[in-house]
Amino acid sequence: MSSLFRKVLYLSVLFMLGMLVAFFLRTPDVLREMENDSMPLSKAMKSDTTGYERATGPIDFSFPEDHGAHPTFKTEWWYYTGNVIGTDGRRFGFQLTFFRSALSPKAGIADDSRSDWISDQLYMAHFSMSDTENETFYAFERFSRGSLGLAGAEGVPYKIWLDDWSAEQVSDASYFPTRLIASEGDVSLDLVVDEGKPVVYQGDRGYDQKGDDPGNASYYYSFTRLPVDGTISIGKERFVVSGQAWKDHEWSTSALGEAEVGWDWFSLQLSDGRDLMVYSLRQNNGSESRHAVGMVHDENGTSRRLNVGEYTIETNANWTSPKSGITYPSRWTLSIPSESVELEITPRIPNQELNVTIQYWEGAVSVEGISNGSSVTGSGFVELTGYQPK
Amino acid sequence: MRSSLLWRSSVRYLFTHPLLTGLSILGVALGVAVVVGIDLANVSSERAFRLSSSLVTGTATHQIVGAGNELDDTLYAELRVEYGFRKAAPVVEGYASYGGESEGTLQVLGVDLLAESSFRSFIGGAQSSLDLGQFMGPSSVGLLSEETALSLGIELGDTLKINISGIPHEVVLLDFVRGLSDLDKQAMSNLLVVDIGTAQRLFSGAGKLSRIDLIISPEEIDQGRLSSLENWLPSNVRLQKASSRGNALDQMTKAFTLNLQALSLLALVVGMFLIYNIMTFSVVQRAPTIGRFRALGVTQKEIYGTIISESLIIGVSGTVLGLLGGVMLGNGLVNLVSQTINDLYFVLEVRELTLAPFTLLKGAILGVGMTLVASLLPAREATTAATTTVLRRSSDETRMAAALPRLIWTSLGAAVVALLLLVVPGKSLILSYLALLLVLLSFALMTPPAVTLCTRWIRPVLGKMGGVVGKMAARGVETSLSRTGVAIAALMIAISSTIGVGVMVESFRGTVDQWLSYTLSADVYISPPSPVFRRNDATIIQDVERDIRALDGISGAYAVRTAQVQMNDFQNDLIIVDPRPGPTESYRFKEGDIASISERFASDNVVKISEPFSYRHDIHAGDTLQINTDNGRIPFEVAAVYFDYASDVGAVMISRNVYNRHFDDPFVSGIALVASPGTDIDNLIERVQQVVGGRQEVFIRSNRSLRQASLDVFDRTFTITQVLRLLAVLIAFVGVLSALMALQLERGKELAIMRANGLTPRQVWLYVTTQTGLMGLLAGLFAVPLGLILAYVLVFVINKRSFGWTLQMDYSPDVLLQAVVLAIIAALLAGIYPAMKMASANPVSALRED
Repeated sequence: MSSLFRKVLYLSVLFMLGMLVAFFLRTPDVLREMENDSMPLSKAMKSDTTGYERATGPIDFSFPEDHGAHPTFKTEWWYYTGNVIGTDGRRFGFQLTFFRSALSPKAGIADDSRSDWISDQLYMAHFSMSDTENETFYAFERFSRGSLGLAGAEGVPYKIWLDDWSAEQVSDASYFPTRLIASEGDVSLDLVVDEGKPVVYQGDRGYDQKGDDPGNASYYYSFTRLPVDGTISIGKERFVVSGQAWKDHEWSTSALGEAEVGWDWFSLQLSDGRDLMVYSLRQNNGSESRHAVGMVHDENGTSRRLNVGEYTIETNANWTSPKSGITYPSRWTLSIPSESVELEITPRIPNQELNVTIQYWEGAVSVEGISNGSSVTGSGFVELTGYQPK
Repeated sequence: MRSSLLWRSSVRYLFTHPLLTGLSILGVALGVAVVVGIDLANVSSERAFRLSSSLVTGTATHQIVGAGNELDDTLYAELRVEYGFRKAAPVVEGYASYGGESEGTLQVLGVDLLAESSFRSFIGGAQSSLDLGQFMGPSSVGLLSEETALSLGIELGDTLKINISGIPHEVVLLDFVRGLSDLDKQAMSNLLVVDIGTAQRLFSGAGKLSRIDLIISPEEIDQGRLSSLENWLPSNVRLQKASSRGNALDQMTKAFTLNLQALSLLALVVGMFLIYNIMTFSVVQRAPTIGRFRALGVTQKEIYGTIISESLIIGVSGTVLGLLGGVMLGNGLVNLVSQTINDLYFVLEVRELTLAPFTLLKGAILGVGMTLVASLLPAREATTAATTTVLRRSSDETRMAAALPRLIWTSLGAAVVALLLLVVPGKSLILSYLALLLVLLSFALMTPPAVTLCTRWIRPVLGKMGGVVGKMAARGVETSLSRTGVAIAALMIAISSTIGVGVMVESFRGTVDQWLSYTLSADVYISPPSPVFRRNDATIIQDVERDIRALDGISGAYAVRTAQVQMNDFQNDLIIVDPRPGPTESYRFKEGDIASISERFASDNVVKISEPFSYRHDIHAGDTLQINTDNGRIPFEVAAVYFDYASDVGAVMISRNVYNRHFDDPFVSGIALVASPGTDIDNLIERVQQVVGGRQEVFIRSNRSLRQASLDVFDRTFTITQVLRLLAVLIAFVGVLSALMALQLERGKELAIMRANGLTPRQVWLYVTTQTGLMGLLAGLFAVPLGLILAYVLVFVINKRSFGWTLQMDYSPDVLLQAVVLAIIAALLAGIYPAMKMASANPVSALRED
């Protein structure tokens, strides 16, 4: 074979192979990973309060409208807490709370025909479940803006919701019974809360002063004992449960005084039919604010306000959260001499800390002691806020 | 000891021929630079696209998209509140242009921060300082990365003036997006993050979302969450993988980038011929030396190694220079590539060239590898030839003459294979380019026989013109065919590639121009500015549209709207047109019949599809196209295939009446006005201007100026092709220069003998320049048919397979003439130095070594 011929042929074949290889050698895709972060929102809840309506004195509540939102106030919440027992005797505590926070004082003015999303109402909801037998605590949190039907609070008909968590009246006719629905992952509750004891207006006819400044107050009413039935699911297990719930509804603008850092709040349902609500506002110097108040609600529906000094809360033990490092009081003795009450309050499980945007402890407790001179048992909920990690 | 002597001789050789060594290095460098430059530009564009799209997609695995460009936001609320799906985030997306110090396009991303945290960490995370109330509030505020703000020259609290669909807006810079990684910063370089409500206001989409992002884990898919969600969703929306959108966009530009790559490799082909030629020359010139070394006992292996080392030196230095040049070239080309993508496909901002290590490696391997491959044969020849033959130059030529018939047969064989590859139906671009290479090969193989033939014809002519010297020159070309053949082939390939690409572009432009002239049949065109020239999906304010339609002096106002719609299993542009009265058509049909279609098009569920669309998806007249509408998925009959050069992605055309029946979208993207007889067009334009007033910035163009604008964009999109063509010419020039120079230098002794026999220096000049000029002429002449064949393949096969277009081959003789002149000039220039050297050389010293 001629050398030139071979040359040209050889060269061409090699060359073409090279070209083909070059064609197929393409740069691999650029891939990247993204981290997953949660968003701290506490700033949004604690900004400027000028321009908002304030609780300045007792008012006449108007139901069912006042069960809904009061968007001209900065902050509002609807708390459902309860202790329930399954048909198999297993105990659970639950909390389903909806918080509303106005982002600007021009409530309702933010309407814009060009977008239904514009909103100055921020909603947050917490859902927790205490599984006493397994000593497990589940806590979940959600956020949404109060527009487009994503979240809201309506009095008539009664419906408070955020996504698919809701507290909603069951029939068209009345506020009670109210159905509570919440689920996250494989933890869920579906409970119906029925009418129980009548409404209790906390503080002075529902005007609950929390600081020296008259505006540092809230409007606050409770339903202290509501029969509750329904189902709770954890994992693949489903429990038919019944028990007693407690509902609080409170709205305010800047409900804490400058020096106040947090509160310890107790809601207790005793076996003699009495319900107690007491709280203490803690100040940054460690002392208790003189605005801490409580309420005794008797079996027959009459209630009496407890003033500062009428009761004492003594901490008997502490618990430190392994997650947040925060140390919370964990056993208490509540004494109300004027009512012949002396109660030992014990968390059903120590860890009932909600490790969410705002860290706090809120959990089911058991009660044992003396009321009106006779021994009683009971259950309830305790909320501890404003504790900081050391 | 021996090998060190050999090595010194080798290095000495390279240094005593600095011009040739330099030219071969330059040849390699240019080839590598073009390949690397194009590849870097492509990779950078792709990376910029991937970065920004992965940043915007975030961790979403799936998306809910509407039938058209958008979907109702109430679906999002239902999804969360009623269906209880939580890992969902609403998105409103769009583009805004900004002016001022620098101009550009911002991608506007509207999100609900409260739903973002698990989706786009760059927004959700590390934003604790953000004032949520302001962000979600009624005034338009937004977030930029600090770097973007800096480049836009604005600070926190400043107002950013943007323009969307010709309507000015102001957005206050509320905060920076903080805590970004370097990669995120790049990806965020043109991203403006706003609240979803703000985005709806900016894009006038009350109640509308671009999409809903979802996260559905593989476990959840196993649990049937995906399918139950699919069942729950209404029929007018679709659940798709989050990656499918990016893939679809990527797919759009695939043919474009592949063709660029192929063109860049063409440059390397030419470079390779050059190296082969020079290496062969260097071996031949040193044949006596090598022969002596062999006679002295230097082994074949050592000689082989030396030649390969020499080529390595050239290859490596050329490659290093080529990589540097490639990076510089890439910097220029990336703008051209991204400009073209912006004109034709989608908004893309490439802020910097990505020095992809893979590309550089590829360039290095190609550069060094090809140099080595090109010198393997010369090295083998130097090694294996018998010692005595190496010393005899004429043996090459004897073998050459014997090989001619075989060359012809192989050439014909290559041509047949190429033809087969071209007529085989299919869409493979690789096969098409392979055929193109075979055509080149066929012509290269045919060159030596053709040269022999031509020089025999031309000899009498040259004899008449230049006497004996002219005859000798022609004869010289033939007698040293083994050298001149390769040089002419290299020059021919280089020149033909410029003809091929040139004719292709000219044909394309001619077709588009002609198409524009019958498509643009209205007098005045009004459209808002749109971020992508060829895809106008901006909308005209409805009041403005109404007022324009009410103008006096128009006999017709036809609106057009472009919408992205899901059809069959892909997303495509749907073009909504007001049907014109009567059987007139501004488009020409490839399939289908105008008379029978007009009426049904205006009222029935029928569509027309563009030729590229038909080609891409293999859908033809009479087929059915499933289109997702606001009323669910509906079958549409394809009534016709029309010629269209506006988009290589293809389009589906539907009449406004039919569209309105199935879609809730009253907007239009443009209006074409037909003036009544007697109406002055300039006056009409002025009146349109007045009636639009300051409400919206729109382009109001006459038929002629729109046509010009379209052609301008066409030219802009082909700038990169022209640049590549010029680079190929440059490489060809260097190649020819070195090849011919080498050839003439090799003939030093021959010329010395002629001088000794009485040839005057003037005659030497004449001899050398006639010879190189003749070679240039031959190469130029051969390049003409080859160039036209290349153009034919590019126009009718590669364009068709890449984009589905039918183009008319259309070229002026100028292109061909230019090519021939270019070849001759290159050859003449290449002859100057050797001619000078030979003419002034003392024949005695040239002959002394014998």
